[in-house]
Amino acid sequence: MTIRTRLTLWFTAVFTLSLLVMGVGTFLEISEQLRHARRESAAEYAAEETSEMILEAGLPAVLLGLLGGWWLVRRALAPVADLTQAVEKIHDRNLSGQLPRSGNGDELDRLTEVFNAMTARLDGSFQHIREFTLHASHELKTPLTILRGELETALHDESANAAQKEKLASQIDEIERLAKIVDGLTLLTKADAGQIELKCEPVRLDELVRECVADANILAPPQGVEVRLDSCDETTVAGDRHRLRQLLLNLADNAVKYNQPGGRIRFSLRREGPFAALQIANTGAGLAADLQGRVFERFFRGDASRDRAIEGCGLGLSIAQWIVKAHRGQIQFASQPNEWTTVSVRLPLA
Amino acid sequence: MRVLVVEDEKKTASFVRKALESEGFAVDCCGRGDEALATALATPLDGIVLDIMLPGRDGLSVLRQLRAQGNRTPVLLLSARGEVGERVEGLDAGADDYLPKPFVLAELVARVRALARRGSESKATVLRVADLTLDTISHRAQRGGQMFELTAREFRLLEFLMRSAGRICGRMSIIQKVWDYDFDPGTNLVDVYVKRLREKIDDGFEPKLLQTVRGIGYVLKEAA
Repeated sequence: MTIRTRLTLWFTAVFTLSLLVMGVGTFLEISEQLRHARRESAAEYAAEETSEMILEAGLPAVLLGLLGGWWLVRRALAPVADLTQAVEKIHDRNLSGQLPRSGNGDELDRLTEVFNAMTARLDGSFQHIREFTLHASHELKTPLTILRGELETALHDESANAAQKEKLASQIDEIERLAKIVDGLTLLTKADAGQIELKCEPVRLDELVRECVADANILAPPQGVEVRLDSCDETTVAGDRHRLRQLLLNLADNAVKYNQPGGRIRFSLRREGPFAALQIANTGAGLAADLQGRVFERFFRGDASRDRAIEGCGLGLSIAQWIVKAHRGQIQFASQPNEWTTVSVRLPLA
Repeated sequence: MRVLVVEDEKKTASFVRKALESEGFAVDCCGRGDEALATALATPLDGIVLDIMLPGRDGLSVLRQLRAQGNRTPVLLLSARGEVGERVEGLDAGADDYLPKPFVLAELVARVRALARRGSESKATVLRVADLTLDTISHRAQRGGQMFELTAREFRLLEFLMRSAGRICGRMSIIQKVWDYDFDPGTNLVDVYVKRLREKIDDGFEPKLLQTVRGIGYVLKEAA
């Protein structure tokens, strides 16, 4: 049955019911009038009884009409509300899910059907793009492997002179860089497609932070940068040890690379309510306020990295953000140019 | 020693074969998974270099079938997919080692050699290269009678380099073995640690033992 038919039928029913109530009321009033008619004057009596009639028959009818109307609209709109709720939950990761259909063949059911068909088409397109990127990164690795292997073979050729070898080695360096970009892209594409499964085991974050500070203490001194661990509360989070180490090293490496000679790096890990709060702050040029919102974008690089030709593939913070989100945490970037740049990470405690 | 290289990409197979042959291996090449399985089951081999993506039958399935038939030939898996979980999956299927593409050729050769010689590796607790010694139990290192302190990471790095003395250690191997990372952390951590280690074991001594192989990695050996 279509909604139009159903609404018409319901409306007729409510209207008839109201009329019936009014009719019954009026009938009762009139019969009472007739009983009293002998005793009082007709004019007086008519005025009094008319208002009584409105009160006793009209009011219930109006009330019934109101209630009925409210119920009628609510029933008619309920599927719309359900649909709205279901549509609100749709995002790029769950396009394959279908909205539940009532199956009664009305307009809304038909709308849901069309909607499901649309999300299915969108899902197909998204899938297509992801598969394309996955295949692209895979296909890129084959020529990279060949290039690298052949350059390396040439590098070991005894007949090559020093200048030629230097050139070959420099080309190998560039291939390494390209390979890192392809690796980063593959990782992010897989993460987008939900194809990476993270372990969920208790991890002592404070131990990982100490380990990372030890590595930073090796990376930083050659750049004239001093590293300090301000506080390191004992914290355990549920997560993937490898990925969390990758996150920490990633952030530590940035703190060294975007620093300045004579600069500093401060690590701190604190328990804050149900969270582990990690902060890594570094001195250095920092980033202007208008660019800060873009640091997690893929391939975003600030002026500093371009000016000073800092090595990197521009995917580090995107990967960091993915790791934090995959652990149901938050990551924030704040920078005061030429003062401190701070990356704050909050992860739920285990 | 005889090695089977299973790789459908002809150019890759060709330079891998050349590199292994120049190291004294007898190399058979094969571009299909099903053929590789037949060859591996019929021929006694000292090692197999096995790509995962193959026509006919994929590398992991070849490996599983091989192991199911009781064949214990050492296998080095190659993969262009480079997933963290894939290494674990490969090792679970019975692989002895795993190398993501693009790989360092010298590293592949070093690993094949290590696999082929598996079992004959020294289990010595005191390692020695020239006048440098490392006691793997007390974690003490000395050179020319002079003792030096090593951090835990430096110890693992030195132990790894000394156990592979004379062989080139690629950065990826060092990252896997010393840091236990399955991914390239994208930093120059390895280079900086090697530099620190070099200051300890080579500064003030001759000959220099810890050498850089440009574009590839490091090697610890007696003579240049």
